[in-house]
Amino acid sequence: MKTPSESSFEGQILALLPALRRYARSLARSDAEGEDLLQDSLETALTRRGQWRGLNLRSWLLTIMTRRYRNGLRYRTRHPDTDIEEALNVPAPVAVSDPLERRRLEVALNSLPEEQRAVLMLVVLEGCAYADVATMLDIPVGTVMSRLARARQKISESMQAENIIPLRRPK
Amino acid sequence: MTSHDIRPSEDELHAFSDGQLTPDRQETVAAWLADNPEDAARVSAWQAQGSAIRTLFAPYERRGAGDGRLLKPVRHSTFGRRLALAAAAALLFVAGVGTGTLLPVSGAQKQPVLASTDLPDEAHAAYLIYASEVRHPVEVAATEEAHLATWLGKRLSRTNLKVPNLGSLGFHLVGGRLVPVDGQAGALFMYEDQNGQRLTMLVGRNGESRETSFRFAAVGKVETFYWIDNGFGYAVTGEVPRELLRKVAEECYRQFPA
Repeated sequence: MKTPSESSFEGQILALLPALRRYARSLARSDAEGEDLLQDSLETALTRRGQWRGLNLRSWLLTIMTRRYRNGLRYRTRHPDTDIEEALNVPAPVAVSDPLERRRLEVALNSLPEEQRAVLMLVVLEGCAYADVATMLDIPVGTVMSRLARARQKISESMQAENIIPLRRPK
Repeated sequence: MTSHDIRPSEDELHAFSDGQLTPDRQETVAAWLADNPEDAARVSAWQAQGSAIRTLFAPYERRGAGDGRLLKPVRHSTFGRRLALAAAAALLFVAGVGTGTLLPVSGAQKQPVLASTDLPDEAHAAYLIYASEVRHPVEVAATEEAHLATWLGKRLSRTNLKVPNLGSLGFHLVGGRLVPVDGQAGALFMYEDQNGQRLTMLVGRNGESRETSFRFAAVGKVETFYWIDNGFGYAVTGEVPRELLRKVAEECYRQFPA
């Protein structure tokens, strides 16, 4: 397998792959779906390389991925028979401490509408400026703000502490 | 000008929490938050959310062994791709053996990064399936409690498995059965009160060795309390008042030795 040179289009994408993989997973409901979204977005990027203006490649790729995510039907039909891919994609150790808390966060994220989830992830995970998110998604900054606010509100509601009771082992 | 004159807008609070204000405005909002604990609490909750999200997905920021393949301009059918990936995996393996630097591509570590515990879902399903069963709700009845405990204890690789006694809460043991929990052998105990109202208690192995708090999940009227303790996941499920179900959970927690 020939490694693309670092300055080439492919080489630059290759350098961004870890970040793209993380963003894809942050939008998806499972590892398999995240990997499918990543592949699908890269396919799209490669076929549309003529449209890339040589400006910020990362923003361009994040935009493509966000769009693919919102038209999600095609990539979602591809799995779940992902045995080989999964074997190749050896995960790093889990970083989040409490497994139940992790699950609650996942459930909360999965309950968000796609447009809110994308804005939240671009801001929180990818560190994008609000104005950049607006440009990438082709929406007004005000819409970015309201989607962000609603996403945060919803997560707070579903993560509310009233559903957690400290363990007691009375003796 | 006091900080009360410069009440930040909702958008500015978000921008503050994301570090997207100009430095002087960031400072002004910080001063406002120092005097306004309610806004400060919201901002810090958003920041905590953000940090939990980053922690959750951080492990995915990595290279995959097949990354080069992802950038081939034309892709063949999925099947062809699989063959290519299999070939790549084989190559990597051979290369690894050859150089003594085996890349970690073994299937043994295949567990997904988000090994989410599906305990409440599994407990809910088990309750729905078995608690409504009239003729065969359990495999081993309460009359053989000692056998039940030994048998399920063996399957769970847990010596001295004790079946919780919920008599003090008005529930007696109906019996138990072997069920799959997270792809492994688990135990389901069923209880009933004098009106025939049933509860189930699910125990399964869990890779996590830590202890968690009680969590609560509801699907319609069916409610579940679940927790993880020392390598085992537990869940109690039923359609009884929440306070009662919580007492049941606490009682089970108390009776299962850590």
